[in-house]
Amino acid sequence: MSNARHDAATDGSTDTGTATDTGTDVDTGTDADDDTDGHTATGRQHGTTTTGETDERIRAEWTDYEFAGDVALSVEDLDVYYGDEQALRGVSLDVPAESVTALIGPSGCGKSTFLRCLNRMNDRISSARVEGSVELDGEEIYQDAADLVALRKRVGMVFQSPNPFPKSIRDNVSYGPRKHGDVDTGLLSRLLGRDDEETEAELVERCLRNAALWDEVNDRLDDNALGLSGGQQQRLCIARCLAVDPDVILMDEPASALDPIATAKIEDLIEDLAEEYTVVVVTHNMQQAARISDQTAVFLTGGRLVEYDDTDKIFENPESQRVEDYVTGKFG
Amino acid sequence: MTGATETGVVRGRASTAKTVAAAAVGLSALLFALALAAGFELLSLTGRLAGVPTIPLLGGLLVTLGAAVIAFGAGSRLELVETDPSRSAGLVAGTLFTGIWFVVTGLVASQTLGLGTVGWLAAASLGGAAAFAVTALPREDVGSTVPAGALAGSVGLVMLTGGIGPDWSWSPAGFSDAQSVTVFPRVVIPIAVAFCALVVGWAAAKAYGGFGARGRHLGAYLLIYLNAGSIIAVLFVLVAFVFAKGIDPVMAGVTVGLGVGPTTTLAVDLVIPFADVRLFGLSYDVVWPVSWPFVMNGASILNDVNGVWPAIVGTIWLVVGAVALAVPLGVGSAIFLTEYAERGRFTQVVEVATNALWSTPSIVFGLFGAAFLLPRFTPTPKKSLLAGMITLGFMLLPLVLITAREAMLSVPDEYRDASAALGVSKWQTVRSVVLPAAMPGVVTGVILGVGRIAGETAPLILTMGGGTFVTVDQAASVVDSFQLTLSPPFVTNPELTQATTALPYQLYQLILANVGQSSGIENMDTFRWGTALVLLVVVLSFYAIGIATRQYFRRKLDYE
Amino acid sequence: MGTTDDATDWQRHANRRLATAREFVAETETDALAAGLVGVLGLLGGFVGFLVTSQYTSVAVAAFLAAVGYGWVRHRELTARAVTLAMTVSTSLILVLILAFIVLEALPALRYESGELLGVSVPGLRMFTGTDWNPATNPKRFSMLPMIHGTVLVTIVATLVAGPLGVAAALFLSEIAPPRVREFVKPGVEILAGIPSIVYGFLGFAILGPWVSDQFDLVGQGTYLFVGIVVGLMALPTVVSVAEDAIDSVPESMKSGSLAMGTTDWQTMTAITIPAAFSGVSAAVLLGVGRAIGETMAATVMLRNEPTIAEPLYNVFYGFETLTSVIANKYGSATGLQESALFVAGIVLFVSVLALSIGSQLIEAHMHRKLGGSE
Repeated sequence: MSNARHDAATDGSTDTGTATDTGTDVDTGTDADDDTDGHTATGRQHGTTTTGETDERIRAEWTDYEFAGDVALSVEDLDVYYGDEQALRGVSLDVPAESVTALIGPSGCGKSTFLRCLNRMNDRISSARVEGSVELDGEEIYQDAADLVALRKRVGMVFQSPNPFPKSIRDNVSYGPRKHGDVDTGLLSRLLGRDDEETEAELVERCLRNAALWDEVNDRLDDNALGLSGGQQQRLCIARCLAVDPDVILMDEPASALDPIATAKIEDLIEDLAEEYTVVVVTHNMQQAARISDQTAVFLTGGRLVEYDDTDKIFENPESQRVEDYVTGKFG
Repeated sequence: MTGATETGVVRGRASTAKTVAAAAVGLSALLFALALAAGFELLSLTGRLAGVPTIPLLGGLLVTLGAAVIAFGAGSRLELVETDPSRSAGLVAGTLFTGIWFVVTGLVASQTLGLGTVGWLAAASLGGAAAFAVTALPREDVGSTVPAGALAGSVGLVMLTGGIGPDWSWSPAGFSDAQSVTVFPRVVIPIAVAFCALVVGWAAAKAYGGFGARGRHLGAYLLIYLNAGSIIAVLFVLVAFVFAKGIDPVMAGVTVGLGVGPTTTLAVDLVIPFADVRLFGLSYDVVWPVSWPFVMNGASILNDVNGVWPAIVGTIWLVVGAVALAVPLGVGSAIFLTEYAERGRFTQVVEVATNALWSTPSIVFGLFGAAFLLPRFTPTPKKSLLAGMITLGFMLLPLVLITAREAMLSVPDEYRDASAALGVSKWQTVRSVVLPAAMPGVVTGVILGVGRIAGETAPLILTMGGGTFVTVDQAASVVDSFQLTLSPPFVTNPELTQATTALPYQLYQLILANVGQSSGIENMDTFRWGTALVLLVVVLSFYAIGIATRQYFRRKLDYE
Repeated sequence: MGTTDDATDWQRHANRRLATAREFVAETETDALAAGLVGVLGLLGGFVGFLVTSQYTSVAVAAFLAAVGYGWVRHRELTARAVTLAMTVSTSLILVLILAFIVLEALPALRYESGELLGVSVPGLRMFTGTDWNPATNPKRFSMLPMIHGTVLVTIVATLVAGPLGVAAALFLSEIAPPRVREFVKPGVEILAGIPSIVYGFLGFAILGPWVSDQFDLVGQGTYLFVGIVVGLMALPTVVSVAEDAIDSVPESMKSGSLAMGTTDWQTMTAITIPAAFSGVSAAVLLGVGRAIGETMAATVMLRNEPTIAEPLYNVFYGFETLTSVIANKYGSATGLQESALFVAGIVLFVSVLALSIGSQLIEAHMHRKLGGSE
């Protein structure tokens, strides 16, 4: 086996130190990536591709990232195909809990695909095929008995462009809990006088405060959410996601459609969220990744994970020449 | 760290309870199938099934099924079965069950117990209210199983105890003798059993999903899949039935071989108009290698096999005429609306007008054709092929316009800009960029539209007319009949201004006509089925070609 | 104040129009203008000639064609624009012509059946107050009510069939069905629309009708209930395809947003997709109702064709006549007032379906505005 995590384990590192990894290590990934995934480690073979990207072999230890603490998500040997095209090749990485992990890379490198694998949103795309393993707290999410509803409750997602529902601000926030039966304000329960209006009000306020939106909208909770500005809409989507109380929050370039002020607000918010939640954020903005994340994974062309380490290490002293070229802006 | 003790993302394994719920779904499906079989008289209600009289057997199955879902609901309420129910089954389920039980108790009170209006209304309201209370007030597991199970159980009991036996019948009071209705077990039992099977099947599917969001999902999907399946089944049965009934008369007397078929004369005559000088003539006889009497003959007492050739010719000419009128007009208007006109009041009005034209009933088109066209072609108003063509052309027009417009709108503006940037004039751009790109959409739309008008009957009754039994030499021969004259209108064609027949119109006439011996048709029924089959084949082949064309172009576009 | 402002506004508008027209005349070459004039005159002449059945119609049409031919050679851009404009105008004109001609033909019957309302004579009023259809003996009476009653009953049954089943099938096609199943079901629904109505009618007449009479021990053959079911089946594809378009137009991002919160597909459909597409779906049902009202052949062949009102009013087991079937049945044999009365039935049909069509278009436009604002 060639993938990073197994190598790390044989090195005797403290990686994957939780009990979550015992038992069901379902290795559905094929060994097909053996020849592609650079375990040959022949060092840097320089050359340049047409896009100005240096040609080199990926070395396994570049993606070894050792950290103390719990593992929230553990990905092993993930391959994704869209039809005949392979979008991800043998990606393995562990996401530490309660921190911000940034995924960066040029467009088309598969970072968004990778993100969508973590809550199985790729299932929506009929041509997508996923091989490999993703474990959430030690439970395999790619198995037949997996409950997508339960999974997505625990792994929330914020999309690239804000997508509030065409409902009131209040209803947007309480949508998830209501659908999960945690809050009941339906007509029937109101008629019977057993609705949870107070619980709902508390929940809405808490989530909007956590998403730093409360002060801007508390006087118009019944207005249609589509009337908010783009930045407000995106924070509303974050609040909506918090209302379900997930463990992990996935964010797919959450600030790419926003102006600088709104972006700054979202960035502050992400840093705050990491105190309670595990945040995985995709961004194409390297400064943003450097500002907000604790560790950074760099994907480069062809759907490969090239390097994964502390954010400081990636931006100051990367192992890979290509990563260095990328973060210094030579291509991308 | 959120602990791993939280609810996992992996569902529990199949339990005995789930197996029971699955079995209940299966039993509902079986009952539904049995009800269908009884409805189509494949299963005799007075007979026996597996040694047991049918009606009590069905009743017994219903009681079992009802008891099973109620037991499941109770088990879930008592936490014996692991489920995830919502607090209530919800308003929708509550309203539906209220309605069902309102009707059931109302019917029993008024018809069986013979209560007066006040009495049965009170009883029905009571029944409905009770159903609502049982559905909406308790937790979802009870609310969605008990009313369903009780319905199946009580219907089953009535059948099991002989309340509805083979000899039962019921006529609603208050219907006059001339308009009386009687309901027999052969009608009411299949309907009641099928309905109960649906309701209980839904409840059992919910139970299988453990109620809650997942249970509702399964229950709803069961019904939606069933719906889609039955639509396709109905389609299949319809087409298959017409085929089965019509194939014999249509294929009667078909022979293949050299020289067996009718003779067609191909002739070229070059004549100087008005001078009656014939420059040269050429004629050649072709004998078809196939003889297909039903398609190639007319109706005549002399024929061995009567056929519908004149109607086929009429339909062909109708389609040709309608297309010749509608396609240029429709595509031209679409070009103006998409390429020349600025979006504003005018285009909006035209859009509303086209959509309104599209939904105008065909019989209204017929009335319009009769009032507008018939008096204009001949001195006295007379139904004619030309009037039929134009009326159908008017009907085809909005469809061509709408599809052509859609196809042109979907041509990206970049194409137009690129062409304009090269200094190409607007019309050239339209002709060489927009039209070719929009062509697949237009062609598909026209073919599907033609399929629609080829089967249209109502306007033809009013505008084109024609006989019931048409001999082969009455088939319209439009091409040969053009005449040039020296005085206006210079060109006339008596064939166009004459009544003729077409397939759908002929089928209508055949349905109206009771006997056909005078025209040599022995068995009207088989002749009708044969005509229906030919019509269906003609129309459906237009649809098949249209759908296949669209699929082809779509696939081509996908790969580009 | 406001009115004078409006007036000056209007004047300014007219002046601007006039100015553009003058500019156009000044900029366009004389021969193009002349050809255009000949073309317009030829077209108008052709139309008028057709109306009065003049034998010189073809001359006018020939003049129009000649003008177009000349313009096509010399001024292609302008001609293309003018010809397509003429086509657009004539297409829209058809709707006006339909209304004009059926009203014209209906006038004698409307006049004959005038009734007094609050001291004012209202043409055609008696057709909607009496219940008698009696074309043969004096006093002749042409009440529309029996037919309206039949149409209403058939339409209600058809809507109950086509509405729920159609919307469910649309949901299935756009949200639930796996691609392979959809590829099979969607053409199937379209083909259902393609089966000619006379074939449905024939099946109803030859198979369903006798069977129903036997099952329910009816006197004679023909029920509104089963005509309604057959018509509902025929209206189903309209509902499915329009509703499917509406459901498809709900942005995928909204659906993903809901699913990513951990809701089931069904919850997403009921809470997000259907509310967002609600107006489109109701427009689909309205269009389906319009189809059901206008369906002719199945009703004509399956009904009893005697204008009577069923007793009691909700007795759907006896079917007599609808607005469409009375026209198809009686048109050939009817003359004079009765024929004119059939055109009144046509007006009732045309106007109600027109109202439904325009209503559904307004609803759809509303939906697109709403969803458009969210993107």
